[in-house]
Amino acid sequence: MSKLYLFTGIFVLICYRAMPQHGEIYASNRQQPPDISVQSYSLKHGLSQLQKMFDVSIAYKDEWVKDKIVQVPLNFPSVEKALDAMLQNTGLKYEKAGNRFYIIFEKKQHQSTYNYSSTAPLVLNASSSSGDFATPDLTTVSNEMTEPATITVTGHVTDESGADFPGINVIVKGTTIGSSTNSDGRYSIDVIDENSVLVFSFIGYGTQEIVVGSRTTIDVAMQPNVKSLDEVVVTALGIERSSKSLGYSTTKVTADQLAINRTPNIMNTLQGKVAGVNISSLGTGPGGSSKVRIRGQSSLGGLNSPLIVINGVPVDNTNFGTNQGNTAGDNSQGNRGGGASTDGGDGFSSINPDDVESMQILKGSTAAALYGSRAKDGVIMITTKTKGANKGVGVSYNMNFTDETPLDYTDYQYVYGQGENGIGPASPGALPNPTTGQWSFGPKIEPGMTQVLFNNVVVPYVAQKGIINKFYRHGTNLTNSVSFSSTTDKGGLNISVANLKSNGITPNNSFDRKTVNLGFGYDLSERLSIKGTMNYSNELNTNPPVVSDQDNSIPTSLYAMANTMPLDVLKANAYNAGGGEYIYSRFTNRTNPYWVLNEVKQNIRKDRLFGNFSVKYDIAKWLFVQVRAGQDFYTRDQDYINLPTGKASLNGGSIASSVAGFVNGVYTQDARRFRETNVDFLITATKDFGNFGLNVNVGGNQMRKRLDLNSVQVTDFVVKGVYTVQNGRAKDPIYTMTDQAVNSLYGMAEVNYKKFLYLNATFREDWFSTLAPGRRSIPYPSVSASYVFSESFAAPRWLNFGKFRAAYAKVGSDSDVAPYSQSLFYGTTANLFAGQPVAVMSSLAVPNAHLSPMNVAETELGLELKTFNSRVNLDLAVYQKITTDQIVNAQISDGSGFTSTKINNGQSRNRGVELMLNIVPVQTTNFQWDFTFTGAYNITKCLSLTSSNPGENITVGTHVFNGFVQQIVGQELGQIVGYGYRRDDGSVNPDHKGQIVYGSNGVALPTTKLIPFGSALPKWVGGFNNSFSYKGIVASVLIDFKLGGKVLSGTNFNAYRHGLSKETLVGREGGTNGEGAVVGVGVDVNSNVNTAVASAENFYSVVRGAGLIEPVIYNAGYWKLRQITIGYDFTKFFKSTSAIKGVRLSFVANNVLMLKKWVPNIDPESFSYTSDNVVGLESPSVPTTRSIGFNLNVKI
Amino acid sequence: MKKIFSLCLLTVSFAMITSCDHNFDDINTSKTGVTAIDPGLLLNNAVINSSPGGVSTGTATTDLTYEMAIVQQMITSNSGVTVGGNFNQVNIGNTPLTWTNYFQNVIRYTQDVITKTASDATRANLYNMARIIQANAFMILTDTYGNVPYTEAGKGYTNQIFFPKYDTQESIYPQIIDELTDATASLDPAGKIETSDVLYGGDIAKWKKFGYSILMRAGMHLSQVDAAKAQATVSAAFTGGVITSNADNAIIKHDANFNNGVGNIVNGTEAANFYLAEPFVNALKNTSDPRLSAIAVRYVGATSGPGQVPGVATTAPGNQYGMPMGSDDGSAQNAAVAAGLGSRYAYSQADRNRILKRTSPMFIVSASQMNLLLAEAAARGWIPGGNAAASTFFTAGIKADMDKMATYDPGSAISAGDRDTYATANPLDVSTFDASLQQISYQYWIASFLDGPEAWANFRRTGYPVLAPNPYPGKSVTFITRITYPPSEILVNSKNVQDAISQMGGDNLDTKVWWDK
Repeated sequence: MSKLYLFTGIFVLICYRAMPQHGEIYASNRQQPPDISVQSYSLKHGLSQLQKMFDVSIAYKDEWVKDKIVQVPLNFPSVEKALDAMLQNTGLKYEKAGNRFYIIFEKKQHQSTYNYSSTAPLVLNASSSSGDFATPDLTTVSNEMTEPATITVTGHVTDESGADFPGINVIVKGTTIGSSTNSDGRYSIDVIDENSVLVFSFIGYGTQEIVVGSRTTIDVAMQPNVKSLDEVVVTALGIERSSKSLGYSTTKVTADQLAINRTPNIMNTLQGKVAGVNISSLGTGPGGSSKVRIRGQSSLGGLNSPLIVINGVPVDNTNFGTNQGNTAGDNSQGNRGGGASTDGGDGFSSINPDDVESMQILKGSTAAALYGSRAKDGVIMITTKTKGANKGVGVSYNMNFTDETPLDYTDYQYVYGQGENGIGPASPGALPNPTTGQWSFGPKIEPGMTQVLFNNVVVPYVAQKGIINKFYRHGTNLTNSVSFSSTTDKGGLNISVANLKSNGITPNNSFDRKTVNLGFGYDLSERLSIKGTMNYSNELNTNPPVVSDQDNSIPTSLYAMANTMPLDVLKANAYNAGGGEYIYSRFTNRTNPYWVLNEVKQNIRKDRLFGNFSVKYDIAKWLFVQVRAGQDFYTRDQDYINLPTGKASLNGGSIASSVAGFVNGVYTQDARRFRETNVDFLITATKDFGNFGLNVNVGGNQMRKRLDLNSVQVTDFVVKGVYTVQNGRAKDPIYTMTDQAVNSLYGMAEVNYKKFLYLNATFREDWFSTLAPGRRSIPYPSVSASYVFSESFAAPRWLNFGKFRAAYAKVGSDSDVAPYSQSLFYGTTANLFAGQPVAVMSSLAVPNAHLSPMNVAETELGLELKTFNSRVNLDLAVYQKITTDQIVNAQISDGSGFTSTKINNGQSRNRGVELMLNIVPVQTTNFQWDFTFTGAYNITKCLSLTSSNPGENITVGTHVFNGFVQQIVGQELGQIVGYGYRRDDGSVNPDHKGQIVYGSNGVALPTTKLIPFGSALPKWVGGFNNSFSYKGIVASVLIDFKLGGKVLSGTNFNAYRHGLSKETLVGREGGTNGEGAVVGVGVDVNSNVNTAVASAENFYSVVRGAGLIEPVIYNAGYWKLRQITIGYDFTKFFKSTSAIKGVRLSFVANNVLMLKKWVPNIDPESFSYTSDNVVGLESPSVPTTRSIGFNLNVKI
Repeated sequence: MKKIFSLCLLTVSFAMITSCDHNFDDINTSKTGVTAIDPGLLLNNAVINSSPGGVSTGTATTDLTYEMAIVQQMITSNSGVTVGGNFNQVNIGNTPLTWTNYFQNVIRYTQDVITKTASDATRANLYNMARIIQANAFMILTDTYGNVPYTEAGKGYTNQIFFPKYDTQESIYPQIIDELTDATASLDPAGKIETSDVLYGGDIAKWKKFGYSILMRAGMHLSQVDAAKAQATVSAAFTGGVITSNADNAIIKHDANFNNGVGNIVNGTEAANFYLAEPFVNALKNTSDPRLSAIAVRYVGATSGPGQVPGVATTAPGNQYGMPMGSDDGSAQNAAVAAGLGSRYAYSQADRNRILKRTSPMFIVSASQMNLLLAEAAARGWIPGGNAAASTFFTAGIKADMDKMATYDPGSAISAGDRDTYATANPLDVSTFDASLQQISYQYWIASFLDGPEAWANFRRTGYPVLAPNPYPGKSVTFITRITYPPSEILVNSKNVQDAISQMGGDNLDTKVWWDK
């Protein structure tokens, strides 16, 4: 450590001292290029020196300059003079093709083609655009004419900002005829006939092909090529680097991808679009979380969410998701007490897509290595706008509207209606006021039957189909945003104000978000610049739906509702005479959905302010220092009615004979204050030494995080229906405060050789406040290499760009060891017992003072290819990630008094492949078809828990209804386990081996041990995107998939047990009073053929009674037509003098069509859990929706 | 320019370079949790959780689903989470609950108290109180499961023993008896009075009676397997002095914050699901026992949970009907229709507005239980007085139980006249010891209503009252004589639990515990 201090100190000192001298060198550098002697040198070397000296690009064909030696001093006043001198006697000539762009060609060629063009007759083939300007190769232009030219076409070429574009190559397709634009961007070219096609190209810009037709004037606006070969990417800490220097995989997401197709949670937009990133939107309402996993679940723990970094500074991504049954615990924050399992969102929910300039996804550990202990799950780097796209003052208005239709995938039986054991409200002599509301084991539905429900409500006994769509409404999302920008040479600023109003499909659920974003950047002087962003968001999440639970969960009740129960009757009879819930089902936890709608309330208000301010000073052209301070602060006030007064399942609920003076119910108020500050500095030096380039960064970061939570939960109300803390007689207050700090020092060095071979190394050391003294610091190194082989040798023409990457890094996690986890703490209960205090121990886990955070060691190899004029592009990555020292909540014997202890012994391994394949099958003047496949394969295997004995396991999640998630040594993570069918072992009768064993009551017997049914984690995740552009119309179609995971479907569990599944139609007839007579196919315990008869309800209730979940385990995979967008740019209808600079309208449809799924009755995506500890444990959630909408963008 | 630059550099350099872990010890000290607390307050937690019906819904659930169903006092016809003694089946959701409650809430806390006070002479009384509470918990655990961790139990934090070995029940019992004997004898009225104690306010005399009462129970449990040890223990307990007056009862007085677990369940989701069992109701009804109307209520004509309203409630003893044993929802319904009750919702229940309110008390030990055990001890000749003393204790036991009813709720109070009428009409039959034992055990069964673990232990030990096997067609055993080990033990403490299983000859509901001969 002290060495690092010393190093940093010395470095800082040297930089500081060196500043004036370097300033001078830098200044002199421009005026007087150093005399590099008059020795002879290769022409190629001379040209490359000129390029550096005068900051120009010189294009030539290698074979022309090869072996040519010149001997002229390299101290010319201008590049033209230098070229004149150098090219003397070489048979070569040059032409200035544009501003700071020169082309060298052979003299004879120039002559032979001179006739056809007013300017240089050169053809710079687009396929030659291989990165740097230094070595574009020129196609040999034949000196033979094919056919006489008849038409002269002239025109004006502009760049994306409308400025003249000199140096553009114009050729007639399929011929050797070529020209280029002059310094005013004008060209003239002779073509053969009307069918000729002009091809306009320039490095870094999209090639345009235009049919001449009857025109003689063709003006062209060039657009930068998004698949530019060498783009600048924002890497860890906000350091901008050339993409070809990177030895690891990152993916850039542009603002457009986020803006057109919107979802209230920004990440959900990217489903299926980024290789290796698995995004699940959850069925928890518009204010809910997005579950994002990069390269699979990396650790045995439940939260594997990426770090969010905005403008270089990390912000909080605490998850307030729904995670019932998360027995292993993680850092997600659940609601207190039962009955309020709602999703309160995550760190992404505060981000307004309009403010995002770009998003960079750092997938692997090496990419994120400079974040050290925060890097284990990858990083989502967001850069927000700090200026407009064009110079001057700009105003942009964006409106986005989508309508959401609930999707009902239920395919239930409607042959037998409400009732139990064959007796329903329609049966002769049936009980009045039936309470079978959640069971469909009643009599067969026949025409003309009636049923008596509640208190003598007589309605027809008919199937009630489509109740999902009857209950839920259309959801809407409306975003209005206005942004003002001002941009000058020196910098600019961007202010945006946005309002999102989202109405969930649950009729009382809405999410409102108002955001204000201010970004600015300004060069105070040539050397000193400042940059800052401030983002304020105000969020109100009203009534996020309770999901996946028994109590208060509308989806749970609705998806298991007896199939003849009319919703209007349910609605009209929600209340009993006492104002409590009118029991419609003896399963009183299954609250009447309409009662929930009226009685279960929740508000989450969040005010969040995050931003940072940085100052950058260029000490020299090659050296700068930056200091930055950022803060993420929010207050989050939440109040929720866990269980409303008068709820039937509560003591003294609607049972009128309750204790006098007691009003049941549970109500909670939480107030959180969170603050994370990061102060960092960064010193960056970039310098070339001959063939070598060096880039060094040194920096440090100080992070401090504090969370205060005040919470009060009250019960035993004085007045019914009044939810205040005062109204509860029994109060249970909590105050907790956690405080933690991480200090870091880091550095990065990059060496390149001739800008095609790059070597990178980073090092970070983190000091944690949460670790035991003496073992507080952990080092995180990384190395990576990038080899741009297409530049190191004469690549074949079809290969535009080729790069090989290799990387290794060690990173970690800063959240595994919670603050204060070294000791056992005591507290007291909130209330006295018998007038005396009662002490409690804080935890059932034996504390371990010697814990340390997990380590991730990741190796990554990658290949990038751009071929055939960038029409076939490939980005491939393979990786292996070993995560060691994982903290395992090792279950211990209850006999010890405790349930668990934490040990640093867990180990898991991710292996995967990521592929991005981009093909442009058709590219004509008016039409372009762009096809992109992104796919990833990942398998994460558990290598060790407390030991590496195969089969050792820990239970991390428990299903609300039945079943578990376990991590099992030797198997993939996320195993769904439970009891299966007991199978005959064949010891008595070999013919019966494998048959299901039934008990003497005719009901299937469970296995004697829990058995794993497979991993819930998808192995294959990806999508196929086709985008088309035709005369300004842009359309895209995305098909995505997730394959290879298993699901324990809670919805089907209930449908099976309550008689809604079609499988339960077997054996409904016969039996006493029509209770049905099912004889299971299989054997009895003595291996005789089973003849025992079970009633239908008993037979199918086995999933609950015996916990036998095998019938409801499914393949969770799906193929979906995820998205269709159509957009049109109306800009061309406005004159350039018009105040309106651009109008673009797009239509979007999301979640369009289910192409293939394997689980009945639900959308396999209808999950509500954010934690991997409960992955694959499906339980009824808010139905998924199909959204259709439009996006209007107006620029002024 | 240079100045700004230097300022930035200096600021950052200072901030970073002061120290990379400066102040970390302070940052990592909790400002809201304490690492030490008065052990007396920890004992309170253990005491509250010693209640047989539980503060935690865990113990209450096994009380309802297993123990009281096994002794045929309260049952449900529901399947699902309530499966247990009603169907004589293993329900792995419920079988671990006695284990987890007592180990986590009683053994863990008492172990912490014992560790903290063992060498602190000023807290000797607290130390001994904790030992008594702990011994009681171990007895319930071993009576329920057989072999359990004992010598290494509860030492996860203090001794880092995560996977304790199991001790045989045979070896545990003498140790429990030694603990109780020594701890109770060592309680010193001259020592510090633990006034924060929630059981007796630190009253040493009462604690001694409590300690000897638990010792009496322990001794009696051995009556079949080791009569000599049983006699010696019972005699010692008697000499020490047990609880014979209701004023000394060990009661957990639940309140709005610390609910009666059983009361919570029957006032909540399961309100319309648990009913008094036919054998229990019939026994009380046939003997005109005034306790029936103190305990039971029936909602005449109710056809659903919501139909169970006060307007149709009756506590008249003659109008009480228990649900037949072995009923599932269908057969219970059929039986109710056949009996003219109309629906299964019309069977008698333990009154959730009187004896089983959320705030109703629970008894760890009652004077009636002790008087009855003394009656048995006298009848056996283990304590002086012979049959005469036995008769006296027997009547005192009956009367104490009837008097106890008012403690649950004023509405359950039994008049002195009714009490005496019943006591007079039911003198102890001293014709044979077996007749006496049968009668004493029958009364013990009633007196232990809601005290599931003890009611069940005494039933297994004496075989009385004579109960017919549960007729449920899908039952897996005839009588439940033991509860199976928690699946978590089989998962994580497999070696030790497998040793215990092989010693006991199985891990089944009908495996017998050591003293159950």
